[in-house]
Amino acid sequence: MTDLAIGERVRRARRGVAPGGSGRQRPQTGRRGPSARTLTMLLLVLPSVLLIALLNLYPVLYGSLQSVRDGTLISEGDFVGLENFADVLTSPGFWAAARFTLIFTLVGVFGSWAVGLALAMLLRTRIPGGRAFKVLLLLPWVVPVVVTSTSWNWLVATPQSPLPILGELLGLGRVLFLADPLLASITVCVFKVWISFPFMMMMMSASLAAVDENVYEAGRVDGANRRQLFTQLTLPLISRSTYISWILMTIFCVNDFPTIFLLTGGGPVNTTTSLVVLSYRTTFAQYQTGPGTAIALLMTATLVIVSVVLYRQIRKVDIA
Amino acid sequence: MGSNGRMELSRRSLLGAAGGLSAAGMLAACGGGGGAGGGGGSEPIAFWNMPWGGDQFNPTDEEIVTAYQPPEGLPPATYQTVQWANFTQTFSSAVASQTGPAVSSGGGTQAFLFENQGAIAYADDLLESWRGNGLYDDFLPGLIDAMRTDNGYAAVPYNLDMRVLWVNPTLLEEAGTEAPTDWQSFLDACEALKQIDVYGYGDGSGSGRFTGGHILVSWMIGNGGGLFNADQQPECVTPANIEAMEFVLECVAKGYVDPAAATYTSDNVQEQWRARRFGMGFDGGGLAANIGGEVGDEIVVNSPLTSPAGTQGMLYFPNNIMMYQDTPSQEGSEAFLTYYYQNMSRLWTENTGIGLPPLRSIAETPEFQENPNNVKIIEEYQPIAKTWAAPGGSALFQGVTSVDATPIIDTFTQQILTGATDARSALEQLQRGIEDTIN
Repeated sequence: MTDLAIGERVRRARRGVAPGGSGRQRPQTGRRGPSARTLTMLLLVLPSVLLIALLNLYPVLYGSLQSVRDGTLISEGDFVGLENFADVLTSPGFWAAARFTLIFTLVGVFGSWAVGLALAMLLRTRIPGGRAFKVLLLLPWVVPVVVTSTSWNWLVATPQSPLPILGELLGLGRVLFLADPLLASITVCVFKVWISFPFMMMMMSASLAAVDENVYEAGRVDGANRRQLFTQLTLPLISRSTYISWILMTIFCVNDFPTIFLLTGGGPVNTTTSLVVLSYRTTFAQYQTGPGTAIALLMTATLVIVSVVLYRQIRKVDIA
Repeated sequence: MGSNGRMELSRRSLLGAAGGLSAAGMLAACGGGGGAGGGGGSEPIAFWNMPWGGDQFNPTDEEIVTAYQPPEGLPPATYQTVQWANFTQTFSSAVASQTGPAVSSGGGTQAFLFENQGAIAYADDLLESWRGNGLYDDFLPGLIDAMRTDNGYAAVPYNLDMRVLWVNPTLLEEAGTEAPTDWQSFLDACEALKQIDVYGYGDGSGSGRFTGGHILVSWMIGNGGGLFNADQQPECVTPANIEAMEFVLECVAKGYVDPAAATYTSDNVQEQWRARRFGMGFDGGGLAANIGGEVGDEIVVNSPLTSPAGTQGMLYFPNNIMMYQDTPSQEGSEAFLTYYYQNMSRLWTENTGIGLPPLRSIAETPEFQENPNNVKIIEEYQPIAKTWAAPGGSALFQGVTSVDATPIIDTFTQQILTGATDARSALEQLQRGIEDTIN
């Protein structure tokens, strides 16, 4: 079955034509008022909508109001218009945090995806103890980040930690994993990849499981080598799941507070301060809720834009 | 569908249940959740206290509170422990929603932040009443003054958190040097310790560890400087402060400071003491107890260092107990606090791990006198200790919250401890940061 045939099937299904059928799409009837059934359904949905509005929309609206005031944690403050946004956007600290957030997100998303996909493909093959490996590989995702960050701190922070000892044995001298600005950034990003790859592995495993082995068989018959099978078949066939996992991981990375805060606290000298850490510190350590919520809203707006772009990619995949 | 009637009934029931659930959810979300706030004479005085000591602190403290028998017509007291994790949010959200305590301890500068927001009940009447029962005169010198704002006393001193110099005499002896007495002998001792691969300036300013910044300010205070002038405005770029920070940068440049210190957490710092990598260092009065074991028994509090200017000084935190406007009875809050201060000595005599006592009568008990380190801190450090308000004054004010455990002071400290800057530039950046926050 060719991709064109699949695409045609999808288009027919969207028109309401069953697979293999040749009938026309059901004609649209004229606009009528809502039926009793529709009203009932709307009423059924209403409580959930109200709850979601209360739990999600209200905090967002309240946060938006705080972002245009100069309040503290216990007072609303005066209306200052867009002053907080202007202050934030002209602050070097904000742009430094934005730059680190971008690096952290890119490494977090694509690093964890690459490792997750590689392991998912590896676990597809029959290896002894494959199930046990799967469980073990899930541990970084399952174990609370407080525990894993403490473990990583133990692993790298002091001269008595295992990795600095290994560095000394290898003749690298004393490696300052958390105290050197560049190494601290790398360590935090690697930690994020380590903590996130199991999620990607699960997503990719599920996606790969849905790929028909016959497709590969056909590819091999056509003379495709392993690289071509991967780039021409595997990647396109799992692209929908890949884009969804990228969207989710982008949101996870941009909003990731504990990974960074527990390992470095944003240091040394703000090198690993991301936007969410900056927002937290501005709000809860400097008691400036206006700029703090302004940063958070700017993050939200950016995430919405990134998500929309990636969703459009998914739609393109669907249409193709 | 052949069972339309039953279906209609089922839908209605479901809608009703869903609506009820929704309303309950809204009420739960909107409701304040009760609590001790608000009015009403029958409500108890809610006392929130922090885990100031070890495992035995809060149980002992709760025993003291629950044993309170209020005078006729005044409310009893309830006890709640508030963890340090995110305590600012805990108190702020509770106070803002009027579900907070009537009386509490908390962060050392918390009372001054809330005082500025109009949430604090001033302790003037309470302190005045303590002149009659001897409590007022029992406080160590200067403590009550640190609580005074322009509008009244924001809180009552509770326990003292001092920053002191600790030394490991065994390592000093091994290095063939003696305990330092001034800045120059400190450098000499550091150099000797370096020869045996031990750091003389043991400290850290990593995630959640604010002592690193406290010690930098202590160097400034010890040299006659500090961060705020008499008008309670930041004045960081002074000759005394520059000289102090140049001294610390000299320690960094000469390798007396662990190169990873900027990111050491408190656990990391204590690990270095246990591993005998730190021969001297600055920390709170409870360091020996926190380290424990053999090294915990070895280390001792050193006398304060004398600066080139001939001055001494260290930063300290007069942790305090505050009363809130939102109380069922102000008279009840004051009666409870009077009882509490008259009966809290157990917290020190039973070694619950709380900081140093604010009252002479407790410091003079045989149980307290058994610990020579604590005695030394009270005798030698308390008289020279100064608050964040130094050198301009001793009374705390809202402006100091801009440097108490904030990113501004964290960044400054990490810049200095990594040697990534010069003293003047770092102090100028600190000055701008404080000004931006205050103004």
